[in-house]
Amino acid sequence: MRTTVPLVIGFVVGVFMVGEFFIPHWRYQEIKTLLLEFGLVLAGAAFLLGLINLTQVNLPKVLRREEDWGYKALMLVSMALTVFFGLFEGLGRNDDGMVYKWIFDYLLVPLNATMFALLAFYIASAAFRAFRARNLDATVLLLAACVVMLARVPIGEQIPYLPEFMAWIMDVPNVAARRAIFIGAALGAVATGLRIILGIERSHLGGD
Amino acid sequence: MLDLLIKFQNMDRRWIFLGMAFAILIPLLFPLKLPFKVNKEVQAIYDAIEEVPKGGTVLLSADFDPASLPELGPFFNAHLHHLFRNDTKVVIVTLWPTAPALIIPEMTKLAAEYGKEYGRDYAYLGFKDGKELAIKTIGANIPQGFPSDYKGTPTGDLPVMKGMRQARDFDLMVAVSAGFPGLNEYVLQIQGQYDLKLVGSCTAVSGPDYIPFYKSGQLIGLAAGMPGSAQYETLVWEDRTPPKHVKLLATAAMDVLNLGHLFIIALIIAGNVAFFITRRVEESA
Repeated sequence: MRTTVPLVIGFVVGVFMVGEFFIPHWRYQEIKTLLLEFGLVLAGAAFLLGLINLTQVNLPKVLRREEDWGYKALMLVSMALTVFFGLFEGLGRNDDGMVYKWIFDYLLVPLNATMFALLAFYIASAAFRAFRARNLDATVLLLAACVVMLARVPIGEQIPYLPEFMAWIMDVPNVAARRAIFIGAALGAVATGLRIILGIERSHLGGD
Repeated sequence: MLDLLIKFQNMDRRWIFLGMAFAILIPLLFPLKLPFKVNKEVQAIYDAIEEVPKGGTVLLSADFDPASLPELGPFFNAHLHHLFRNDTKVVIVTLWPTAPALIIPEMTKLAAEYGKEYGRDYAYLGFKDGKELAIKTIGANIPQGFPSDYKGTPTGDLPVMKGMRQARDFDLMVAVSAGFPGLNEYVLQIQGQYDLKLVGSCTAVSGPDYIPFYKSGQLIGLAAGMPGSAQYETLVWEDRTPPKHVKLLATAAMDVLNLGHLFIIALIIAGNVAFFITRRVEESA
């Protein structure tokens, strides 16, 4: 029973959602919208589960003073404060003068932006060490990367034929490779979807 | 000589970081302001918005965070200028929890600048979790997925939403997308099913991923990364001088990209020259 009921639900909903793409009848579409709404409610509830999970995993480690407990404590306090002010300040939490907005503007924005900005430095270092023309494949990759990098900036645009060559790399080999990956991934997704709908794939139920 | 070349190949990465810092700082202090061309993908976005009839409505999905703000913020800003200036109505949604605090101040400031009234000329329906499910809902029934706007007003009561039940009721859909969920999922989940007119702005790293969608016509325009945003800024302010308070941040940042990219290419070339000389010397020894 514990396995059969979820499998039947998975089969019925899966087949129904495949059908919605092909059946535009209004009643069918209304049921689809209702199912989507169920999904949105579940996704919202997942946030709550995430909060509980983070606390369950990290709080005992803080209490036992395990390695890096200070960082975990800081994370839990930050999470609790953000949730508290987010709920307490309600719909106006993004207005100027609100604590939630202050946390966002003066903590999250600089931290998030700094993490991403550091990429420029690490990419420069990684490119210097990794881009070596050791064989034909690596040489082609290296040349393509240099052409695209140079042609994407104003100085490169001034070099004759370089923008056109870059456009060819992006429009022909890039598109061909991406399409091959997309089609492969799509076929894989269809196969996985069918396995779940037909109950062959059961790992999402917690089994093997 | 050989020792020097080997040392160069294994140099402390902090020297590279320092060089990169100079490559970023110098053009910020002494801008070169080199001209750049507008590519056809960005021009197509501009044209698609110009084709929206006066009083038409655009659905804008703003899915970015502070990390991607330097790349996508200028596009978002220029896009709102473009829409408000053309008297095009806009309804904004987001699938990223970090986006609302970035969207609201910008939207409110620009709407006030153009004398736009909230609810009638523009609206912000807020953040919705659910990723692909939220996108499916945008395709099928927006008021069901977004029952109220960010102020708590029922979506159905907003004049700008009159007659707008699903994404295809809008004249155009624009996705400003920093990753998942975003432009890719809009194409996969609803563009084909509802035959949407969809344009997008994405980070530079995602640009090559979306070119097949542009080539197949699933996207009718695409602005990738800082160059895409800078080109769109150029088009929006091409025939007029921007007011003093309007900063064309992506255009200014193109100088940084210039030197930054040149620095990386110079490093790659120098690294390979050192590598080949070292290898030749070692082989002959």
